[in-house]
Amino acid sequence: MGKSKGSRKGKKAWRANISTEDIEDFYEKSSKDALSGGSLTEVPSDSLFFVDKSRDLSVKRKIDKHREKILRVDSILQKNSFVQAVPSSNQKNSFKKRKASAENSSQKNGTTDTGMVDIWDNKGEQAGKARKVSKLMVIPAVEVEPPGCSYNPTSESHQDSLAHAVADEMQKIYTKELRPTPVPLTVPGEAIDDEDMYFLDADKENDDDDDDDDVDENDDADLEKRPFKTKRVTRVVLNKRIRNKEKMKVQAEAKKTKEFAKELDSLPAIINEIAKEDEEKSKRHERCVIAKQERLKSCPPRLGRHKFEPAPVQVLLSEDITGSLRKLKACCTLARDRYKSLEKRGIIVPTAKSGRK
Amino acid sequence: MPKHYRPPGKKKEGNAARYITRSQAVKYLQVSLSVFRRLCIFKGVFPRDPKKKVKGNHHTYYHMKDILFLKHEPLLEKFREMRAYEKKVKKAVCKKNRDLAERLLTRKPSYTLDMLIKERYPKFIDALRDLDDGLTMVHLFAALPAIERENIQAERIHNCRGLSLEWQAYVSRTHKLRKAFISVKGIYYQAEVEGQKITWLTPHALQQVMPQDVDYKIMLTFLEFYETLLGFINLRLYSSINLKYPPILDPRLKALAADLYALTRYVNAKDKKDVGNNEESELRLAQLQDQLPANEPGALMHLVENTADENEEDEETRACKNLFKDMTFFLSREVPRESLLFVITAFGGVVSWEGEGAPFEESNQSINYQIVDRPTQSHRFISRDYVQPQWIFDCINSRLILPTEEYMVGKTLPPHLSPFVDNEAEGYVPEYAETIKRLQAAARKEILPMPGGEQDDLDNAHNLLAEGIIDRTKAKEAAERKRKMAVLQEQYHNELKMEMEGAEKNTTTTTPATKSKKKSADEETDDANLQQFADDDDNMSKVSMSRKKRRLYEAMKISQERKKASVDTLKTRKKNIQKSKKTTSD
Repeated sequence: MGKSKGSRKGKKAWRANISTEDIEDFYEKSSKDALSGGSLTEVPSDSLFFVDKSRDLSVKRKIDKHREKILRVDSILQKNSFVQAVPSSNQKNSFKKRKASAENSSQKNGTTDTGMVDIWDNKGEQAGKARKVSKLMVIPAVEVEPPGCSYNPTSESHQDSLAHAVADEMQKIYTKELRPTPVPLTVPGEAIDDEDMYFLDADKENDDDDDDDDVDENDDADLEKRPFKTKRVTRVVLNKRIRNKEKMKVQAEAKKTKEFAKELDSLPAIINEIAKEDEEKSKRHERCVIAKQERLKSCPPRLGRHKFEPAPVQVLLSEDITGSLRKLKACCTLARDRYKSLEKRGIIVPTAKSGRK
Repeated sequence: MPKHYRPPGKKKEGNAARYITRSQAVKYLQVSLSVFRRLCIFKGVFPRDPKKKVKGNHHTYYHMKDILFLKHEPLLEKFREMRAYEKKVKKAVCKKNRDLAERLLTRKPSYTLDMLIKERYPKFIDALRDLDDGLTMVHLFAALPAIERENIQAERIHNCRGLSLEWQAYVSRTHKLRKAFISVKGIYYQAEVEGQKITWLTPHALQQVMPQDVDYKIMLTFLEFYETLLGFINLRLYSSINLKYPPILDPRLKALAADLYALTRYVNAKDKKDVGNNEESELRLAQLQDQLPANEPGALMHLVENTADENEEDEETRACKNLFKDMTFFLSREVPRESLLFVITAFGGVVSWEGEGAPFEESNQSINYQIVDRPTQSHRFISRDYVQPQWIFDCINSRLILPTEEYMVGKTLPPHLSPFVDNEAEGYVPEYAETIKRLQAAARKEILPMPGGEQDDLDNAHNLLAEGIIDRTKAKEAAERKRKMAVLQEQYHNELKMEMEGAEKNTTTTTPATKSKKKSADEETDDANLQQFADDDDNMSKVSMSRKKRRLYEAMKISQERKKASVDTLKTRKKNIQKSKKTTSD
């Protein structure tokens, strides 16, 4: 072990190890720059580089040459003046002609500035037939309200319309009332414990099972025990039976003739009855037809899952009649009215959404 | 065997083959449900109600022929193309290729409904016949608010408003309006264009709400079709009165929401040009007249003036045109301006209103009537009548300038009657309708009602006079009818007699004297047997009718009776009301 040099971490050691290389480099470089006439980094790149265009021409020529070359395949397909071209189809030509003629005609016709043409102004064309639409729709597109729905109605007609509206409402209420009572959501009384419930069910089941079993057994026993024998028919009995049969036949015939005579006597009554029946039938049929027509007038045929529900009548209440147009409480849901009208005419299918209130 | 079993190899028959459910149809056409619905609306294909619903009662059925009709529609292909294009755009957007997406969006394929309209309405008259619904829809959407949520765009609402006003301008220019009725729902109008009665409903001028139970997609599809239809109809109508379509409007008036006035001005300006042409012809005529002997200079000119206009006009149009002729109206702030503007100009009146852009001021001396709807009017001009808006509507419905006393400011108005009710058919005539009828009869007899400010007793006397006239005419009519009846009866008896004689095979020749005797005898017995004869006639005709006709006749009888009963109830109700009024007043 030699003598220790002391701590290397001291300031002395630091100073000894600092290199001055970069400073020297800088001096060197700056002196070099000063001698050569400015650093290259500050010079614009334009002055340092340039595009060499001396050989461009040859490249262009090369491409041109390449392009000028025609392949054998292409040369065959090139147009030959000795060979006449065959049109692939004459469709294109006719299309062009048609287009030109159409343009001409449109110029002749009264085309307006916006390009709208009077489509019904057909001089040369024949008016085509309209497609037949089934005339089931008896309901007009715009139904005029009854006079009671006027904003200032006469008292009589107003009462009439009001009565209609009230009747509709009442009918709704009555139908709701006459529906079967719904199953109640809650049942009054105490809740039964789980254990008790088990006993309840068990008791019942046991009883039922016992009864059923008994009945079944009894039936089986009867079937088995039943005596299996037939009575013997003697000659005497047989003869008696034959005689009896003949007698019965004669009696029946006599009865029949008697009844027939009786009916013959009461013929007018029967005819009357039949006539009455017929009349009733015809009347019933008539009623049916009329009712159907009425129904069609008021509501459309059933077109889908849901039934059409008419909109309520728009009529003023008695206290709302002010007689002034300014203070009128008017209906502001005309969109619904139009929608209902479309449904009513059977043009669109009623949906659950539109039926709900 | 199941109910609708079909052995293999056998074709479907009957309802199973003829009808197809909606879901089947959608599959058959290979489109989405929404496209199918649009197509149905555009083509006018509606669901049917087959007698036997093979697939169950909860399905919607279409006729197979209808579906085949849809299948051959070029629009179907167009819709498919549009869908494919939309997919392209969507793809571009998802790949963040914004340039491509924008470029694609600029060249989106679109469709027009022109051919469909031509197909559905081959003639102009067909289109007019089916216009009711379209007009109502367009008028409704013109009043709706634009809502993004329901995809109702402001442009479409503007378009609707433009179309509806163009229609109104045409109707008012040509004086085609016939009836108007204010109901709770809205205002009903009826016009007669080319012999077709067109009824439409416009909403009241107040905020419309959008009910949730309406499918606005469907409504907008309908609207799309109707917009196109109304555009073509307007074009045709405007070209028929030599006007350019679409009209060019004054932007200032449009900004002031006075489009209708702007439109009418446009129409009238064109008219003035026509008048210029007329002047030319007049000039030529004057030159002609120099050569002619000058005995009737004015008459000929007058004739030329009128022939141009009124050749094609029928009597009713002329009556409508002249109802408010030479009258000037002024609308106050609180009355519904648009409807009154439309109605008054349609009947030949001149209108102004309170607000900017109005043709003349309130202080104008030429104003005859001012329409107000307020309890009291403070400042009044003596030269004019202050009436409530209902007066206009009642006047046009009765085709008569009604006396204004009952319609003055602050008075309780007489009831507004519906002009769409046929009183004779209904059998019940309201009280006010009767008074209007009386006035009409009086006007027809050229006894003009005295100008406003006449006293009550005078009015009563006037009514009495009118009543007298009506009574006289009624009596005359009754007498005439009686005479006709008598003649008919005589004829009938003669025929009977002829038959009798025919039965005797002309063995006996009856002298005219005996004939006359017989006739007199018959006449004596006439009154007693009248009822009997009538009954017999009835029965005879009934017997000779076919069964179908007889049933129809009976049904008619039933409906008549029902009507009668309803009228009776109305009458009794009225009586009761009057009684109760009396008791309360006492």
